[in-house]
Amino acid sequence: MTNATTRRGALKTLAAGATAASLPLWARYTNAQTAAPIKIGFQVHRTGIGAAYGRWYGRTTEAAVKLINEGGGINGRMVEIVAEDDGTDPKRGAEVVEKFATQHNCDVGFGTLFSHVVIGSSPRAGELKLPYFVVSEGHHVASGMLNRYTLQPGITDVKSQVQAMAPYVAENLGKKVTMIFPDFAFGHDHRDFFTAAIEAQGGEVLEHIAIPPSETSFTKYFPKIPRETEVLYHVMVGPAVLTFVKELGEFFGPQRPEMFGFIDSLEAVDISSPGLEYLEGTYFWEGNPRNAQADQSEHDKFYRAAVGVDDNGASISDPTDVSTYAHMFGCWETLHVIKAGMEAAGYQGPDDRTALIEAVEAMSDMPHSQAHPQGAKIFNGKTHQVFGHQYISRVEGGKLIKVHTTSIEDTLYPDEVDYTTQAF
Amino acid sequence: MRTLILISMLMAPSMALAHASEQGFVLLLPTDVYITAGVACVALTVVLLVLTPARLAKGIFHPIPLLPRPQLPLHHLSSCAAALLLAILVWIGFTGSRDPLVNPLPLFIWTVWWVGLVSLQGLLGNLWRWINPWTGPAALLSRLTGLRAPYRYPRFLGFAPAIVIFLAFAILLLADPAPADPARLALFAGGYWYATLLGLVLFGPRWLIRAEALTILMRTYARVSLLGRKGPGLALGLSGWKIIARPRVPLGLAIFILILLGTGSFDGLNETFWWFGQLGLNPLEFPGRSAVVTQTILGLIAANTLLIAAFCLSIWLGLRISHADMSLTQAFCLFAPSILPIAFGYHVAHYLTSFMVDSQYALKAVNDPLNTGANLLGLGQFYVTTGFFNTPGTVRTIWLTQAGAVVIGHVIAILLAHALALHAFGTRRRAALSQAPLALFMVFYTFFGLWLLASPRGL
Repeated sequence: MTNATTRRGALKTLAAGATAASLPLWARYTNAQTAAPIKIGFQVHRTGIGAAYGRWYGRTTEAAVKLINEGGGINGRMVEIVAEDDGTDPKRGAEVVEKFATQHNCDVGFGTLFSHVVIGSSPRAGELKLPYFVVSEGHHVASGMLNRYTLQPGITDVKSQVQAMAPYVAENLGKKVTMIFPDFAFGHDHRDFFTAAIEAQGGEVLEHIAIPPSETSFTKYFPKIPRETEVLYHVMVGPAVLTFVKELGEFFGPQRPEMFGFIDSLEAVDISSPGLEYLEGTYFWEGNPRNAQADQSEHDKFYRAAVGVDDNGASISDPTDVSTYAHMFGCWETLHVIKAGMEAAGYQGPDDRTALIEAVEAMSDMPHSQAHPQGAKIFNGKTHQVFGHQYISRVEGGKLIKVHTTSIEDTLYPDEVDYTTQAF
Repeated sequence: MRTLILISMLMAPSMALAHASEQGFVLLLPTDVYITAGVACVALTVVLLVLTPARLAKGIFHPIPLLPRPQLPLHHLSSCAAALLLAILVWIGFTGSRDPLVNPLPLFIWTVWWVGLVSLQGLLGNLWRWINPWTGPAALLSRLTGLRAPYRYPRFLGFAPAIVIFLAFAILLLADPAPADPARLALFAGGYWYATLLGLVLFGPRWLIRAEALTILMRTYARVSLLGRKGPGLALGLSGWKIIARPRVPLGLAIFILILLGTGSFDGLNETFWWFGQLGLNPLEFPGRSAVVTQTILGLIAANTLLIAAFCLSIWLGLRISHADMSLTQAFCLFAPSILPIAFGYHVAHYLTSFMVDSQYALKAVNDPLNTGANLLGLGQFYVTTGFFNTPGTVRTIWLTQAGAVVIGHVIAILLAHALALHAFGTRRRAALSQAPLALFMVFYTFFGLWLLASPRGL
């Protein structure tokens, strides 16, 4: 498995796994069902602005738990998901965390995506001493803003993602960049992290064009793009994204600079949709390649099938229902980290919560495997943040074709916190 | 500490993943052309009506008699069954899954009833007579105990309790941070069922038609349905024929009807970028419903007040220019039902998209009501899809269906108001004059309703 805590822990895990695997399936079940289940509180964005993501996070979580339970559960106990809707609302998020700890007697909390909900909920998790595994991509965990009970072991953070793009962009697309981003925290992260990263590559950002978040027409901003721009970096989000692409096409025509964007803009949108033709030949960051690639790993193949996603990243039951493929693997991988952590810690119940956190903190290498289908990762126990490969894809014939895989080293940055020094 | 957290939240790097799909394609549609066409259609109806002979204008609301109405005294039985179903749902609400898209209670209340059954009621007829969860149990109680209601419903209250209860319902729907939380909803639904049954026991059936907001809402929407009672039989007519048959409503009910429309409109408005702008919020980083509870309640009250004021002004102006011999209150009570098709059309339009998604979850919940892995309908591994929001063709069809519901609602409202005016004022000229400001109001409201559908939304 993924755990590198101690040799003894690893051996124990292996031994337990081997024993479980050698039992017939019914025996594993009977054994597991005699014990109370491990309860994982799933803080899910069922309603509010995160609902579209919540649906896919839910589906991935369901598939991962099914797999874990079919394999005998965790320490011989079945996993039960207690899903609570947080309404993509920080205040409710904190209430949900409280319910997990005090009402539902959950062993851990898990699954939060939107940063403001994570930031609103994490202090409560800390107070209630509930291990809180977030799947949010935000830099808030590694920045030191949260606490020892909050971990992000299943998805990389935006700072590492953005900075890892700079070497490829500078080398292959151009060194003179203009950035277009929405004028709020999300866009500012990209502005700050990428500007520093491209400068470190000997490039420069010619112009930062901040777009008011409620804008729905963009033509008036395009003349601000300097003529000598070689690469246009865009991270627009929200309902007007498609309008943005369309107007960009009308503005530039075929004489455009290279374009690089974050798939967040078009997550769950079919890239071959009419109106998006202009994206042909442009580049995107992907957290996990949506289209099955020529060199697709067996793990990605397995994961896709388990979640019910086809080779285009859409639901197997409806090819127009495109998934949030670049992010949702985080739920799958986080659940496997929780499993590995509990097994390493010999987790029995809430009294072992600190042991679980220590076991996860002790992890480092997470090899590319069924538990980590997105790719190998390195967990930093001090910052509670995982680091992993990032992908750059090019739109070719309406598909996202992977053209570059970053090294994990490209994504690393100096520690900003050491949570292990904080008392439990 | 709290301030610290707040500050850190404001300064935190964050991500926005508001999805582009459906809204994105709507923004690419030529909605300005569609809106113009819709508004023109309603305006044209006004012009045509002025030229239409009075007999014809009134005649379109004549119903066609169908079958004789079956006299099956089973509605108490079906009402008891509905109460039993509600009791089971409330129990599952307390004990079942915490996930509002898995637990059948929120799905049943917000999707099956509030969207599905309300729409069927407005389209087909008074189904509520059969499915309300109170009349049967109350009849049963009275049969078992032999007791009659000890109190008379206080006349002076009129429809006031219904208005208050409906506004409370609207606040739960729009402003409450967690209206779909299964346990909370179970508490509200169970508590309200019990309180209403108590009202019925204490004050008799009058409680249902004066104070019980949901029954009044359902009965009110049944007024625009196609099917209805006429004499001993069942009849079919253009939406609104039942309003022509029994035009004037009590003042309290007239206000209730306007609040239905005002609340529905605000339900659309409070999701738009425009509304977020008024609140000074970033629609791509909405801080959640709990951050705007007060603003939403105030907005709801303001929207309803504004609508009632605008409607009164239109009626008053109409009375002035037509020199009609009718008081404002009388005219208000006469014309208020004419806006029901607008409220109903908007209800259908507004909830169509969420219904297309959530009805799939409801189906899953029926398949596996206790979340035990049951497969009652044989759906097996059923994946909910939102793919229809991802292709331009389906988004256009959905949008035009919504717009169609809005435009048809307004056209019928105009026809209805004109027919009511003909009945009240006799001549075509006076009817047209008295209706001019109200017609203008409705043309404007068409624009508003279509604009709401086309506007970028933050939720």
